[in-house]
Amino acid sequence: MIHLKNIARYYKRGFQKSWVLKDISLDINEGEFVTIMGPSGAGKTTLLNIIGMLDQADGGEYTFMHEPVHRFNERRRNELHKHHIGFVFQAYHLIDDLTVYENIETPLLYRGIKGKDRKSMVAEVLDRFNIVAKKDLFPEQLSGGQQQLVGIARAIVGRPKLLLADEPTGNLHTQQGIEIMDLFKQLHADGMTIIQVTHSEENAKYGERIVRLLDGFVRQDESSAKEEKSVS
Amino acid sequence: MIKHNIKLALRSFMRHKSSFFINLIGLSTGLACALLILLWARDEMKMDKLFALDDRIFQVMEHQDYSDGILTTKSTPGPLSSALVEEIPEIEYAITIIDPGKYNLRVDKKSIRASGVYVGKDYFKIFDLPLINGNSDQILSADNNIAISESLAKSLFGTADQAIGQAIEFEGVDLYTINGIFEDLPDNFSQNFDFLLPYEPYYQENIAWLSNWGSNSPHTMVLLAQGANEDLVNEKIGDFIKKRVENSQVTLFLKKYSDLHLYGNYRNGKQAGGRIEYVRLFSLIAIFILFIACINFMNLSTARASRRAKEVGVKKTIGARQQSLIYQFLSESILLTLVSLIIALSLVQLTLPQFNLLTNKQIALDFSTDLVLIFLGISIITGLIAGSYPALYLSSINPINVLKGTMKSSLGELWVRKGLVVFQFTISFILIAAVLIVFKQIQYIQNQQIGYDKDQLVYFNRDGRLQNQIEAFFTQAKELEGVQNISSIAHNLVGQQNNTRSVEWEGKDPTLDLLFENVRVNYDLLETIGIDLKEGRAFSREYGTDSSAILLNETAVSIIGMTEPVGQRIKIFGEEREIIGVIKDFQFQSARQEIKPLFFQLVPHYSWLMMASLEKGKESVGLKNLETLYESFNPGFAFDYSFVDEQYAKQYVAEQRVGVLSRYFAGIAIIISCLGLFGLAIFTAERRKKEIGIRKVLGATIQNILTLLTKDFIGIVLFAILVGLPIAYILSKNWLNRFVFKIDLDIGYFGLAALLMLIIAILTIGSQALQAARMAPKEYLRNE
Ligand SMILES: Nc1ncnc2c1ncn2[C@@H]1O[C@H](COP(=O)(O)OP(=O)(O)O)[C@@H](O)[C@H]1O
Ligand SMILES: [Mg+2]
Repeated sequence: MIHLKNIARYYKRGFQKSWVLKDISLDINEGEFVTIMGPSGAGKTTLLNIIGMLDQADGGEYTFMHEPVHRFNERRRNELHKHHIGFVFQAYHLIDDLTVYENIETPLLYRGIKGKDRKSMVAEVLDRFNIVAKKDLFPEQLSGGQQQLVGIARAIVGRPKLLLADEPTGNLHTQQGIEIMDLFKQLHADGMTIIQVTHSEENAKYGERIVRLLDGFVRQDESSAKEEKSVS
Repeated sequence: MIKHNIKLALRSFMRHKSSFFINLIGLSTGLACALLILLWARDEMKMDKLFALDDRIFQVMEHQDYSDGILTTKSTPGPLSSALVEEIPEIEYAITIIDPGKYNLRVDKKSIRASGVYVGKDYFKIFDLPLINGNSDQILSADNNIAISESLAKSLFGTADQAIGQAIEFEGVDLYTINGIFEDLPDNFSQNFDFLLPYEPYYQENIAWLSNWGSNSPHTMVLLAQGANEDLVNEKIGDFIKKRVENSQVTLFLKKYSDLHLYGNYRNGKQAGGRIEYVRLFSLIAIFILFIACINFMNLSTARASRRAKEVGVKKTIGARQQSLIYQFLSESILLTLVSLIIALSLVQLTLPQFNLLTNKQIALDFSTDLVLIFLGISIITGLIAGSYPALYLSSINPINVLKGTMKSSLGELWVRKGLVVFQFTISFILIAAVLIVFKQIQYIQNQQIGYDKDQLVYFNRDGRLQNQIEAFFTQAKELEGVQNISSIAHNLVGQQNNTRSVEWEGKDPTLDLLFENVRVNYDLLETIGIDLKEGRAFSREYGTDSSAILLNETAVSIIGMTEPVGQRIKIFGEEREIIGVIKDFQFQSARQEIKPLFFQLVPHYSWLMMASLEKGKESVGLKNLETLYESFNPGFAFDYSFVDEQYAKQYVAEQRVGVLSRYFAGIAIIISCLGLFGLAIFTAERRKKEIGIRKVLGATIQNILTLLTKDFIGIVLFAILVGLPIAYILSKNWLNRFVFKIDLDIGYFGLAALLMLIIAILTIGSQALQAARMAPKEYLRNE
């Protein structure tokens, strides 16, 4: 589903280019649950943003579901992203002025889904995540774990093919973190492709493959499920 | 999606209540101002445009070429209208109109003083005023016909229905028969009268001066034939007077009647503005005030952008495109302006009576479709402008930066915000300076020593038995308590009223062509009004020969160039006159003009106005006594008097109105600007909480913090003053140039304006800053 070839990304620091991603090549198949790990500043978030089409690489090729994303204009990238990708953030990033229900509904609005369908889709997710009772509350009235639950609900309500999660449990207590990871496991079992960034080896175990970044390169790419090790 | 946007907008309003109310107050007062000015401007534009034949109605005007420039006037010779109809085929109708006067009308025991005008019989064919009774072909066609307004009919007869065909006694002598009743004149008609009389018999009665092609007094209006070319007619009538009067310097031309109201001023023969200048000025002020309110919205929305930025970032990650976000923020600002519109409309409704009083109008807030559309249009455009910058700014936020929490205000954005505040305060400064200068100038011209004691002078018509028994009236009036002196005069000495070019003297430059004001007076006039003699003597009953004597003012003497004028002779209207005295110059026009040459001649029978000076402190006793005396001479006549100083002040009505209105508008502009400043001050204090806390822990005093929080704002205000200074200076100088007699444009006025604005600004931000500076440090740091 995802094919990255020689992806590079730099930021300007003064007059100098500082390369965050130097040469990343990676293939991820549909249905995989991949964990990206690496020290702080390794470029994990940058990579995730590129995969999520929020950011663009400065070099290399990116093919998503057989479509050459690196050749697309903003409008087509936006279309792809809108229909196939869901985001979960460390800081939840719910919209403060919207209720739980409205937060979950928002992506459907931007996809132009009709009112009736929207209602049933949101209701289904609320039900599945056991947060029906909280639907009229505002984010600040929820605990961190509950907020992240809403964050995930919002990410998957549009039934995306790919879920991207940047340190989703980073702000949570252990117990809340476990609940979130269980949820990911479930989504994965239902066939969702998931890429998560985490610092926790525990969380990484929920996935079936770990990609380790260092100095802008993929240092290690191991599939834990098949107990295989390959070093690139 | 619209529901979603509105919901978010409302919640954002509730969340930032102070910003919301600042914007709401600013936008609704701004809109209210704009709507008032719009209603007023619309009213001005509609003036005199009420007739079916509007396109074909023209006023015949004159350019008179004198040595000191071209004088443009509506006064024309009395026989002009009938000659025009006869000789110019393109002119279908032409009528003469004599300036309105107040006349006494009587039916049975009821007598009323009403305003009447002599007009040509085709008046209603040109001005198709709706008639209640009578037909426009016959109205005023016989010499004894009179046409009256509906309300005059009601006050004379109790009802308008039975008035037609009834007789009215006019000025105690003539009888007229009503053969037309017209609806009361609409507000958007600049002519003003209660009844009309036919001009033709009036012409016959006054044929001596009305048939003279060389004298100008009545107005002439024409209706061009359908399809007639204005330029062609102008060509034909240009020399109309020159062909009839030897050495005439008069050129006739047509001016569209309904344009006269807005474009009525001429300077040296060229059209030079008119009331349209005020329409433009106030429209500009309205736009500025609205823009000032828009700036508040822009600044407060972008200053508080961090919260909205997160929303934008998140929305972009879930598929929102910039376009839809721009749309969202614009609908938010438009929603706010629509709510403001509702408040503004109530404000307008509330203030209209007062506004009408100030502007002397009868504007009503009606909800006709076009007006509603204009209101909505203005609000939506305002909303778009207010929302434009925030929408562009917010929607272009990069989600990656927001979500990382690394968003910082860019330098450019800070400059835009500062620039906008500078703009607000520049406008406010200019308005404050303008208000001060207009106020000072009006005060100056009203308190100006004009050369005689106008404050105690009262005048009234010499009508009824006063015409023949004036000496008896004088003798009795002088005995009255409260009356100091009394005389009579041809006109009230305010403005140019009667003048002539035919003043000749020995050695006069034959090319010199100047107008001399001609004032016909009775004995004791100088003593009554208190004009000082420079040399010689005033008219006196002790000399039998004063009817061939003349008094000149200083300007006239210096134009003639006499070193010892008293005893010399000059010719007026070809008759030799002896100069018996020189009077000191006095202001008989407004402060807009230089003092012109003038002479007084003794013509008791042409002095139609009684002029009396009242004793200071006993004015009401004097008036009462005069009234009793007048009524004993003229039983049944209403005693209708005016004060000279009030008439004099009326010359400055327009300036006074501008003065008062600009005071209000300046006040509103500064209040809205300060509201915005206040909002920014709250925001800054909030944003710098932590910094303030740390500084206080490190030992900063309250003064240190106050300086820290206010110095930026004060810098901005000072910069605005610097930008506004030259603009305010040029504008005031231009405005003052209308006057010959004016205040010096002292830098002190601008200094005062600057000081006022600084004080207001410091008061606005000071309270916020003080509150922030006083808080205990732990209050600031708690949130972290
Ligand atoms: N917008 C940016 N401008 C400049 N440098 C950036 C920007 N975003 C990220 N970086 C730099 O890129 C590097 C990688 O960042 P990031 O992808 O967030 O790392 P990680 O998520 O692995 O901690 C860091 O050194 C960071 O400072
Ligand atoms: Mg990161």
